[in-house]
Amino acid sequence: MTAHTTSVPSEAPNTDARGMWLGLSVLGLIVLSVFALRFGLRPISWGSIWSALTAFEPLNPDQIVLREIRAPRLVGAVLAGASLGMAGALMQGMTRNPLADPGFLGVNAGASMGVVLCVLVLGITDPAAFVWVALGGAFIASLLVFLLGGGNQANPARLILAGAAVSALFLALSRSLLLVSQQTLDVYRFWVLGGFDGIDFGTITALLPFFAVGIVLSLLASFVLNALMLGTDTARSLGVRVGLAQILIGLAIVILCGATVSMAGPIAFVGLIVPHIARWIAGADMRWMLVFSASIGAALMVAADLLGRLPLFGGNMQAGVMSALIGGPVLIWLVRRNGVRKL
Amino acid sequence: MILRLPFLSMHLPARAITVSLCLVSLLVVALLSALHLGAYPLNISQIGQAVLGHAEGIQRMIVLDHRLPRILTAIGAGAAFGLAGSMFQTMLRNPLASPDVIGFSAGASCGALLAMILTGGFVLFGALIGGVVTALVVIGLAWKDGLHPYRLILVGIGASLTLSAGADLLMTKLDALTAAEMAKWLVGSLNARNWADVQLIWVGLAVLLPLSLWLQFPLTRLAMADDIANGLGVALSSMRLAITATAVALVALAVSVAGPLPFVAFVSGPISRRLVRQGKPALLQAAIVGALVTLLADMAARSVPLVHLPTGVFTAIIGAPVLMWLLLVQFKKGTL
Repeated sequence: MTAHTTSVPSEAPNTDARGMWLGLSVLGLIVLSVFALRFGLRPISWGSIWSALTAFEPLNPDQIVLREIRAPRLVGAVLAGASLGMAGALMQGMTRNPLADPGFLGVNAGASMGVVLCVLVLGITDPAAFVWVALGGAFIASLLVFLLGGGNQANPARLILAGAAVSALFLALSRSLLLVSQQTLDVYRFWVLGGFDGIDFGTITALLPFFAVGIVLSLLASFVLNALMLGTDTARSLGVRVGLAQILIGLAIVILCGATVSMAGPIAFVGLIVPHIARWIAGADMRWMLVFSASIGAALMVAADLLGRLPLFGGNMQAGVMSALIGGPVLIWLVRRNGVRKL
Repeated sequence: MILRLPFLSMHLPARAITVSLCLVSLLVVALLSALHLGAYPLNISQIGQAVLGHAEGIQRMIVLDHRLPRILTAIGAGAAFGLAGSMFQTMLRNPLASPDVIGFSAGASCGALLAMILTGGFVLFGALIGGVVTALVVIGLAWKDGLHPYRLILVGIGASLTLSAGADLLMTKLDALTAAEMAKWLVGSLNARNWADVQLIWVGLAVLLPLSLWLQFPLTRLAMADDIANGLGVALSSMRLAITATAVALVALAVSVAGPLPFVAFVSGPISRRLVRQGKPALLQAAIVGALVTLLADMAARSVPLVHLPTGVFTAIIGAPVLMWLLLVQFKKGTL
């Protein structure tokens, strides 16, 4: 009952093309970032962007908006998009399941549960405190998933079932607690919408070590993941210590997603869509896959955040919703155009 | 045990029969206690008389007009969700697959919200149209020299995510009161069901359940690799289409009487498989598990005093621990 255990040897895209695509996607990210700084409720001229970087005037309102609001928002979106993209690629690679999103390790559900309990029991309503509560909840939930999934002899199919069961239970429990307490609902409602609205550099700096560790761990994991994707038995015979590798990958996913969810709330879609888009460009090699997932994820997130600020979508649509609105059709178009490449 | 009839012979494993009997007796016990449960106290003999049509007045009204229709709707809808989920999971060879995968639920939510915004009503009608249209579009977009599971999943994810984002967007266009009401509907509720609902779901099941059980034969082969299934004489694409159509019809029926109850379609398959342990889909048992989970969830929703909680909040609270427990037992035994 595992998903596709057969992995089709795909024709390896030549390295030059991949390098070119990588350059293009990074260029796209830079262009989008500049737009994200320029546009918004208060359009800021190109000159102000430049002078905010070179000659900061503390009393210039344009520059304050740029430094205090737009810049942290942009950095947050880039970090979140890259992390979710990488975590999604790792998750789908490890479980060999195209339906697995990084939330399946229980991270989002655990974080939500943590926030709900924190408001309900401790009466804390300060969003700044939620960062650590959410992170703690995420770690506890994913530990539970990992134990139920079979510990270090985890079998991908079981891990996924355990993750889905734990996530659903935690989400249902938090939802029923919310129905009981109106006051908690009022606080939680805004946290769960997520997005990059009230984000500041303080939060980002506090979480930066987590992002750094997560990214380094994923890049390390990508080397064993290529072997792991051939199936656990094959990987073992190739000399991979499967249990250890799975723990390493799981840890990377949890750290990346935990940091993201505590910064920007549960953003579900990016981790699911981006790896599929990256797979068409990068082919099956996980090392390329991860890099592409990071750059495409970041670009998608910045674009979503930018589009969400347009008046057409109410001026303030969450980036999570917008990224699904953009990413979904792209995914379908790619499937139609390029045919199927299995995991 | 082997069943031999002139037109059919099949293997009936003892464990599957035992499991089914146990599940059915659990369901009967749950049904009786669900009849008993409620603010108005009734003892067993009063309930018995009411069901047989011998009671009068308020007893008759409570049992026949309130509790029984709600219970029978829960059982029917749960069975339909369980069957459909198990069929999708087997056909797509993916334990995470459920009708949500081909966008039915997201389409139904969008349809319901659109109907509310445009006409101020016709929520159910909008949901059904939205769900069925989405399913058709997804199948159409995924069809390219036949229906391949992997492509269906990818197109389904794309459509499903886009539509649920669309639903979130539509939700912001409603005023607060309507939004709260719609949010409740979108979670799935069994409040105030009547005999028309019971009739709809059970007549539908009477047609679709035998059809699904018959489809179990090709389904078991489809669960193997494409080449093997083809070699065993299964016409892959047309069988997949038939199975998808049946499953979508089941979900549409269930949604129309109970709303999009979450988690039932996902959890019934894995639970029944782990109970039956025959290495192939156990559709009948999945249907009973679905019915049981939904009925218990509805009982939980009914027993919370003062507030009307929608049933959909409890399906995961009932279903998830069972699956977790089964996973733990398996882990200890070292199977799977």
